[in-house]
Amino acid sequence: MPIKNRLAEMHAEITGWRRDIHQHPEILYETHRTSALVADKLAAFGCDEVVTGIGRTGVVGVIRGKTDTQGRVIGLRADMDALPMQEQTGLDYASKTDGAMHACGHDGHTAMVLGAAKYLAETRNFDGTAVVIFQPAEEGGNGAEAMCKDGLMDRFGIQEVYAMHNVPGVPTGQFAIRSGPLLAAADEFDIHLEGRGGHAAKPQETVDTTVMLSQLIVALQTIVSRNADPILQAVLSVTSVETSSKAFNVIPQSAQIRGTVRTHSNAMRGLIEQRLSEVAQGVAATFGGTVQVIYKRGVPVTINAEEQTGYAAETAIAVGGSCAEAPMVMGGEDFSFMLEERPGAFIVLGNGDSAGLHHPEYNFNDEIIPVGCSWFAEMVERRMPAV
Amino acid sequence: MPVKNRFAELQDEITAWRRDIHENPEILFETHRTSALVADKLKEFGCDEVVTGIGRTGVVGVIKGKADSKGKVIGLRADMDALPIHEATGLDYASKTDGAMHACGHDGHTAMLLGAAKYLSETRNFDGTVVVIFQPAEEGGGGGREMCEDGMMDRWNIQEVYGMHNWPGKPVGSFAIRPGSFFAATDQFDITFEGRGGHAAKPHETVDTTVMTAQAVLALQTIAARNADPIDQVVVSVTSFETSSKAFNVIPQTVQIKGTVRTMSKEMRDLAETRINEICNGVAATFGGKADVTYIRGYPVMVNSDDQTEFAADVARSVSGDCETAPLVMGGEDFAFMLEERPGAYILVGNGDTAAVHHPEYNFNDEAIPAGCSWWAEIVEQRMPAA
Repeated sequence: MPIKNRLAEMHAEITGWRRDIHQHPEILYETHRTSALVADKLAAFGCDEVVTGIGRTGVVGVIRGKTDTQGRVIGLRADMDALPMQEQTGLDYASKTDGAMHACGHDGHTAMVLGAAKYLAETRNFDGTAVVIFQPAEEGGNGAEAMCKDGLMDRFGIQEVYAMHNVPGVPTGQFAIRSGPLLAAADEFDIHLEGRGGHAAKPQETVDTTVMLSQLIVALQTIVSRNADPILQAVLSVTSVETSSKAFNVIPQSAQIRGTVRTHSNAMRGLIEQRLSEVAQGVAATFGGTVQVIYKRGVPVTINAEEQTGYAAETAIAVGGSCAEAPMVMGGEDFSFMLEERPGAFIVLGNGDSAGLHHPEYNFNDEIIPVGCSWFAEMVERRMPAV
Repeated sequence: MPVKNRFAELQDEITAWRRDIHENPEILFETHRTSALVADKLKEFGCDEVVTGIGRTGVVGVIKGKADSKGKVIGLRADMDALPIHEATGLDYASKTDGAMHACGHDGHTAMLLGAAKYLSETRNFDGTVVVIFQPAEEGGGGGREMCEDGMMDRWNIQEVYGMHNWPGKPVGSFAIRPGSFFAATDQFDITFEGRGGHAAKPHETVDTTVMTAQAVLALQTIAARNADPIDQVVVSVTSFETSSKAFNVIPQTVQIKGTVRTMSKEMRDLAETRINEICNGVAATFGGKADVTYIRGYPVMVNSDDQTEFAADVARSVSGDCETAPLVMGGEDFAFMLEERPGAYILVGNGDTAAVHHPEYNFNDEAIPAGCSWWAEIVEQRMPAA
């Protein structure tokens, strides 16, 4: 059993859905058309329950198996939102919306879980309940967190959750996964440094904010080089600096510094948050300035549960013949909020030799649809085998 | 002979001119009303020649003495332009123009030189020729340079030039001067660092422009601390620091920094320019980036001639009893261009306990008018005594 025959038959139909979604990208929580399309299809497939408005524009479909002897419930999650980018693929089904594009393959993810839902609603060849979850705002909007806060897990009794992401540069249909931390926690910081502004020809009357901020940027590099355990991973990037004045002859009163922190463990995340504040306070005190540090925690570390990762890998091997060890990735993934609430696993699937994610020439590879759909369907049938 | 009696008589009239100019400030070369007012008054006083349009909106008046046995010609210079500052004095003759203000006392300088011109035209008690020079755009526009470039010195055969500036914090009507370097050369630099931008979670694929620039800002501090002769003066201030991207998760491709350099000698100016280039290129090379350094030479060092300074101090003592040694000033002065063409001297006259120049609550002290006018008139009468 590699790919399910039924899903191979449905390939053209699912590809049609994918391209329709691709042509109508919607950003963050504004996935109104996509959510309606998903809800309509789920209802048409004969799902037992279709609920909209979970996490604002999120959609949930419930499919009961032929039996339910153990009360098992498994969640399968796809993301629906596009990116604020101008598409440059030149495809005949390219985005019709100026400045919006499915450049991360969420069109494909949504189409694949829809395909699996259609198959599962037709066959119901499992003992338990499958909950298909379609979230908005994966790209920086914490849509998964919004769905969890709306009580998604408890309301539908979900016990495990699974999700998939395509990866450009990995052979088409090749699976990869890893147990434990897979994607990073992605946090932001915003530092306001205040010196004492004045005339640039009278430095002795000022506290030079520019020198202070430069010392701070350099000192912040020691968090990764000196404070972090070299076995663990951490990134601290200062990405934006802006002095309060742009004049040639005025020492600015203040400066704003921004950046991001990526970590793969809660301990490292805590360490960096603490050291960032200590280094900033220390540098400001050294020069007689003041500092205000705002540390905004974004998506948490995506941690695959060990047991569920094992099931996911076995299923991948059954469907695709092999499953590689995925490398850790410093990008962040909103699905981490769901994995904080329930054990589960996030698997990646090769998109072949395409442009990178978030690139204006990127496109989801429709060839991987039967593989992806089969994995979702197989997860349900293997984790909740029909009695 | 302290203050000339005639100026005590003229004080109210000159004060009225000063306040009229104060109420109608004009910026840079846009001194149209002020220039017209000056030209009209010079004609009314009976100047032998009044020429407008020298250095765009500059005005020159020529007053010949009773005799001209030696062909001596002395230039007296005032500045007419205001600053782009919103006045906050609450005076009943405060600026009528939003966002423009006489916050450096050029209204007073112009009025005092007009007063001297009126007296000199009335009395003509000297052997030679006086050229009164009213320049626009002293505040960063190089109006003094433009008047020189229009051939002013040769056209009127000016042999020596004198200038005066009011000085807050110094007793009203008292004088201070120093020979040699007095006001600083004021240069600007505009540097673009280019690294390799990219995703903030993938620092290894980038050349981090922000870290590179921060290192350069710190390394630039060593020009004053390590390269300069500690006896000599130099200020290098980085005043603006701006990343090409303001996002939290993008390492910027470029960073632009700006700043100013103040020096008191040609050698130090050359050294600062050379070292800025070397340091920025060196730091960029260290990190694998590039630096594009633009060094813009502004006003040169303003150097008072020994002979004329001594004479100016003698005159100051005869007017107000004393003349202090002025400190070096790290600000720049456009009169430096005239002093590069002709020997001369620039003197400070006390403005009393007022707000500092360029402060929105600053005001020229009309009490300084008799002393200032007397110094101008005495410079002429003592330097070119009536035969």
